[in-house]
Amino acid sequence: MALLEVSNLSKAFGGLMAVSGLTFSVEQGQLVSIIGPNGAGKTTLFNLLTGIYRPSTGSIVFDGVDITGCKPYQSARHGIGRTFQRTMVFQAETVLDNVTIGQSLHVKTGVWAAIARTRGARREEEKVREKARAILAFVGLADAGERPAGNLTEEAQKRLSIAMVLATDPKLLLLDEPTGGVNLEEIGGLIELVKKVQRSGIAVCLIEHKMRMVMSMSDRIIVLNYGTNIAEGTPAEVASNKEVIKAYLGARRVA
Amino acid sequence: MKIFSPVRIGWSLALILAILLPLVLGEYLTSILLLIAIWSIMAVSLNLLYGYTGQLSLGHSAFLGIGAYALGLIAVKLHIGFWPAFFASTAISGLAGFLIGIPALKLRGPYFVLVTLGFAAIVGVIVLAWVDFTGGANGLAGMPRPNPIPLPWGAELRFDSLRSMYYFTLFFLVLIAAICHRLVHSLIGRTFLAISHDENLAESLGINTMQKKLISFTISAMFSGVAGALYASYNVVISPDLAYFARGMDVLACLIVGGAGTMAGPIVGTFVMTAIPEGLQIVPYLKTLINGIILLLFIIFLPAGITGGFKAFFYRWGHAWKSGKGRNGIA
Repeated sequence: MALLEVSNLSKAFGGLMAVSGLTFSVEQGQLVSIIGPNGAGKTTLFNLLTGIYRPSTGSIVFDGVDITGCKPYQSARHGIGRTFQRTMVFQAETVLDNVTIGQSLHVKTGVWAAIARTRGARREEEKVREKARAILAFVGLADAGERPAGNLTEEAQKRLSIAMVLATDPKLLLLDEPTGGVNLEEIGGLIELVKKVQRSGIAVCLIEHKMRMVMSMSDRIIVLNYGTNIAEGTPAEVASNKEVIKAYLGARRVA
Repeated sequence: MKIFSPVRIGWSLALILAILLPLVLGEYLTSILLLIAIWSIMAVSLNLLYGYTGQLSLGHSAFLGIGAYALGLIAVKLHIGFWPAFFASTAISGLAGFLIGIPALKLRGPYFVLVTLGFAAIVGVIVLAWVDFTGGANGLAGMPRPNPIPLPWGAELRFDSLRSMYYFTLFFLVLIAAICHRLVHSLIGRTFLAISHDENLAESLGINTMQKKLISFTISAMFSGVAGALYASYNVVISPDLAYFARGMDVLACLIVGGAGTMAGPIVGTFVMTAIPEGLQIVPYLKTLINGIILLLFIIFLPAGITGGFKAFFYRWGHAWKSGKGRNGIA
């Protein structure tokens, strides 16, 4: 069974169908790219999957559980993690604290234990810090732990935002333009990181505009236009699909 | 954390001063210190909610009033001793916070602020208008002082003097500040901070923000209730202006002047905002004006407040010093 099964998913804003009748699935450990022109409904789709929007119709089944209409925090607890197009980190907190906060959904220490600073609470705190350091090492920010997150470069903040989601132990990671706003020479490193995440067994859903990157790293590609998937398949299949070329790359290429 | 960090030394010195000062000060100044301690408790509780969880409540006068009137009504009308009434009033203000928090915290930003303000206005009116129950504008008299606590060696801790009431209040200030410190620096506190920075991001990381906000709000309301109960017990008489919503604004002003989101901020702010008008011997109605001017100056020139400003200054100073040393090392 697929990890994520989306069927007949629609979202209407007034009369506008931002996403309409979308059906697709993501297998365990796959890297699936979602491409399409601006306004095709890619980010709306992410917002539906993570419970920020409520679907108008359709269902989302994740890991065998129907999560249609979940709240954002619940979808994160089910194992769907996401990053945002605009890099979002807690600027004023240190890098390590950012990743610590990312683990909050696993924290068992209650209010009383926190006030009494019980042995369990202290031990959990130590455990969380240790895991945060391990995750920072994984994303290549091992030396930046004590710095305020706001002082990092854009590229490092992107890495941190991925580290924060990894801290939630997701089974599926939704990345909304993970290389957006980053220097050309730094993109390679981020791509490597995304591949590394996938190799560690986490399925990845990627929104990207950089075609070469999408073609080289995706297992499958889903092409959206006006809220519907006009094509789906391996990079090679999608690249030769006439609909895709017309909608996305421009009609002239066909001629 | 180092045992002799400047922060720890500062807190210890402040505590020693707070303990020793009433021994040399007269009745009047001790009573001022006592009021500072009570309003500090309220500022500390508001700080947990606003400074550390990012939820601005203008309605904490309601919880102060609920704490004070609950103590009074339970002790005076039911004729039970101070301690059960005290614990009951604490629980009641916490419960009030919990119940009003559920609908209010579903709202964000200015909408939440308005609901808290509305709640405070309602409580203020109820206290004034329900004459049979609360005594209306005449207030409620005959609050009990804490019953003596027997000590193991036969003596007892009595609370009939001003000085003993001061130490009683100081004990709760230290206790509540310590609880807030523990809470804020725990893993739960991290989620509070996360919510105060960016609630959407916190939610996307799987944090049940509603639940965390409700925890913070309930604890904050409960501690404000403690401040109210302590005030009632000290003052013996309470009147509806205790629950008037402007009280919540006064405490917020103290918090902003001292520095919201810092541990010492609420206490420093309350001290400054009380000590300046007292020191200058200003007539009561001008006090509001002076406090307004102080608040305005802080918002314009030092929005982080006294403690926040200090922190930023020492952070920059520490960095300049370190990088200066680094350069010397190279040279």
